[in-house]
Amino acid sequence: MKIGRNEFKMEKRATLSGWEAARISILAIIFALTLLSLLFILADVNPLIAYREIFSYAFFNPFGLPLTINRSIFLLLCTFAFIIPYKAGLWNIGMTGQLFAGSICAFAVVVALGGKEFSASPSPWLLIPLMLIAVILGGGALGAIAGFLKGRFNVNEIVTTMMLNFITFWLISFLIKEGGPFMKSGGEGQSFELPKSIFAPLIKGVPFTIIIAIGLAVLIYYLFAKTKIGYEIKAYGLSPAAARYAGIRISMIPLLAFILGGAIAGLAGYHYFAAVPGLYKIPKNYGEFGDLAFYGIICGLISQGNPLAAIPVALLFGGMSAGGRFVQGQLHMNFGVDYALLGVLMISLVAFQFFYRYKFERTQTNPDKERIDVGVHR
Amino acid sequence: MWVFIVRSLDASMIFTFAGLGELINQRSGVLNVGIEGIMLFGGTLGFLTAQATGSYLLGFLVAIGVGGLLGLLHGFVSITLGVDQVVSGMGIWILGFGLTTYIGSPHAGPLGLDRIPTILGISPFFFLGLVLVVITWFVLSKTNMGLKVRSVGENPGVAEVSGISVDKTRYLCVVLGGMLMGLSGGIYSLVYNPVWSYNFLMGWGFIALALVFFSMWNPIILLAGSVLFGTLWQLSLNPQLVLPGVMSRYIWRTVPFVITLGTLVLMSTKWFRTRWGAARPEALGQPYVKE
Repeated sequence: MKIGRNEFKMEKRATLSGWEAARISILAIIFALTLLSLLFILADVNPLIAYREIFSYAFFNPFGLPLTINRSIFLLLCTFAFIIPYKAGLWNIGMTGQLFAGSICAFAVVVALGGKEFSASPSPWLLIPLMLIAVILGGGALGAIAGFLKGRFNVNEIVTTMMLNFITFWLISFLIKEGGPFMKSGGEGQSFELPKSIFAPLIKGVPFTIIIAIGLAVLIYYLFAKTKIGYEIKAYGLSPAAARYAGIRISMIPLLAFILGGAIAGLAGYHYFAAVPGLYKIPKNYGEFGDLAFYGIICGLISQGNPLAAIPVALLFGGMSAGGRFVQGQLHMNFGVDYALLGVLMISLVAFQFFYRYKFERTQTNPDKERIDVGVHR
Repeated sequence: MWVFIVRSLDASMIFTFAGLGELINQRSGVLNVGIEGIMLFGGTLGFLTAQATGSYLLGFLVAIGVGGLLGLLHGFVSITLGVDQVVSGMGIWILGFGLTTYIGSPHAGPLGLDRIPTILGISPFFFLGLVLVVITWFVLSKTNMGLKVRSVGENPGVAEVSGISVDKTRYLCVVLGGMLMGLSGGIYSLVYNPVWSYNFLMGWGFIALALVFFSMWNPIILLAGSVLFGTLWQLSLNPQLVLPGVMSRYIWRTVPFVITLGTLVLMSTKWFRTRWGAARPEALGQPYVKE
């Protein structure tokens, strides 16, 4: 393709360096924000004002900032739940179900140990570790179903994880509504509140899950950079057949990847329903928390599976979705600005996948030089 | 009881249209996991159009049109740009899920139009679905056009050499399939349950995707599967009709998903695959790049 003196050529990338990937990702985000500003214009809102409001609320407002941090921790955990299977070439879109399953198990532990009674004040030293183990087991078990079916029978993991999402969604409804075992006395379609004594400890107002999230980022980075298991997962992701010839037990890899992913998604459930100040229950609108988990897919894709790069990305999207919620009230827009952001980011990212694989080479042709060349050749 | 049967047929035609669209896609070798997104888009925009203009016809046309456009988008991204088909499909699903929530929420609530006339209570779309299934089956398995589509799905390299344009054929199928999915979403929001609410499908699209795998890419079996799952879905909504008082209604809602999972597992066993596994289009999910 020729434009003026420049000639553009499309070339397949052999490798993609971290900086190039970061550059493309930033372009994709800017492209999405530009698209989204159309939405603001259609709603008679000046996009510059909207973005200023979003960012100032998300990062500089005393009410917005904790919201942003809490959402970001959640997104980060969901991102890791997506990344590990993604490295194995598998799509975990079941973070929603896995975090629901984990939360069910954690709340079941509380119920079993009598924490549902109004006057109960169980020991945090016993119950918080037990709840953490429960979410890991619950989320991991649900992930294991998808992983086992993929590894053993080659069942499409997208369909499986999605079915499990809906199953756990309705299970929670059963548990918290119409006299289910988790129901708050008096109904209202939400779960009982956790007793005060087992509220998750806070570090300067931030739940301790932030340490888990950042620790996991380092651990997962180490897992894929240095360990045999990480290497095997990556090898399976590149080519299951080649991995088999290399002596890797390929039916085990999807199982392992999904168990790890599911367990981390379970922790995300613990974070929102048991650790974020002001909630400490499974609320009526728990489905919206599940939907938020899909941001994990986007963070995972944008950070190209790098858990350390996912941290700033999760912070950005956590802030934008929290800020989006805010401006929709502030500027009298429709419900769902944060949902729209989710959709637009995703599709822009999909289009930009192309640039992860191809690049444009620009070569300038100098007309004078060309003339001389022609002379010489003839 | 008759009402229950009629509602089940209504439900099954939604699966039929969406599944048929996906089946045509997959027969040409393109996997589109974004059915639910296209259905949400078709359903929401069709609903808004019908509500604004008072015309069902316009609503359905918009649903079909937007479905076709999204199909074209999937085609452009996955055929021309060569991006992984799953990535593109996921993108369309999340786009649909996110944007329709924003677009539709101020209009949440009932449609407020007279219902479409029925034949003995059965919606005319059921008969249209039957006709389309037969036509699709005939075109795919008996005509030259169908041979082209199937060969592109089985071995695009060979098809290209024998003078079939792989890209053109795939584009045709992707757009047609998208239109059917959009229509299916329109049927949901205009006929089956004319009340808009956020994320109203709750998994219909993904079950339709699973149904295509069940059908072994045969439209007739797809129809049978749709009727089965339509009935099952209806049963899960109204369990008191058959088994009053057994299990909570929320547990009943999980039943279609559990059965889908079970069937998927059964179909993926070695026993099943060695007998009927050859039906899967060989090149399904692989982008074709002309060398």
